[in-house]
Amino acid sequence: MSPAPRVQRIAEWLIQAVCRRLPADVRTERCREWTAELPAILDGQGTRPSFLRALRVLSFCVGIFWTTRQLNRSARGSSRRRNAQWRTGAIRTRPPDVAVRAVRGLLIWLIIVAIALGIFTLLHPRGLPPVLPVALVLALAIGFDGFCLADIARAAQVRYLHKWTWALICLAQCPLGGILYLSIGHIGRPRPVPPGEPKP
Amino acid sequence: MKLTGALERVLRVMVADPSAPHYGYDLMKAAKLPSGTLYPMLARLQQDGLVDAEWEAQRQDAAGRPPRKYYRLTAEGLRVARLELAQAASGAPARRTGHGAARPAPGSTR
Repeated sequence: MSPAPRVQRIAEWLIQAVCRRLPADVRTERCREWTAELPAILDGQGTRPSFLRALRVLSFCVGIFWTTRQLNRSARGSSRRRNAQWRTGAIRTRPPDVAVRAVRGLLIWLIIVAIALGIFTLLHPRGLPPVLPVALVLALAIGFDGFCLADIARAAQVRYLHKWTWALICLAQCPLGGILYLSIGHIGRPRPVPPGEPKP
Repeated sequence: MKLTGALERVLRVMVADPSAPHYGYDLMKAAKLPSGTLYPMLARLQQDGLVDAEWEAQRQDAAGRPPRKYYRLTAEGLRVARLELAQAASGAPARRTGHGAARPAPGSTR
């Protein structure tokens, strides 16, 4: 018995869930297009082990998720443009603030860590070894610091202090430094310099 | 249009047989690209009018397979793709050395 139909059903469900993020006018068509690709991915090479095929389908779905992100972004414009639109009254809802986005990212990361923890507990029902809480805190700290450092590295400018100083603060005072940076030092996405203007 | 490595591979596949329709997974395999790179690129090309998409007619021998969406270069797309590929082949290395080269030089007016 081949597991292909079940994998296909799961993949179809995933694609449908991902397509719900798209604007309504393109949703159905995109969903149909991507669902129609699934048989080719699953039947492509019959000799391949089934888990590899499942992995291939899963990576396809991850790519679809990424694609919907890109399509949405190009349809509505960047967060900077949406902020400008909100200020002029072109769109009614205010785009989420950077602090909101940071908290949301942190929550998603927490959920991932919690799920990993849950799986670990299921596999080791006799109780968690004492390293685990430490690992959990470390994972959270690394996640948050990584987010802040990546933000500093990508920013064209930061407020009040040098980028390196903010990076050191983030590293030295793990949650507080990062929170301080996001609330005070963060400016936002770099504004492209129009040609002809001197660079700052 | 900025010719990246991934775009170049897709255009090569499509220019190799301009009349042949390609569906997404077909292009993914031929250009060795993940879906997350290919589909946004196709959407952009379609928006620029360089690529056309059409739905496959339902065939009898498809064995219940849903109809696919096929992509094909438009006449304009073929012209632009050939031009870009020729430019890339004739060695314009500055265009493909990453984002550093994409910025205009200081003081230059575009």
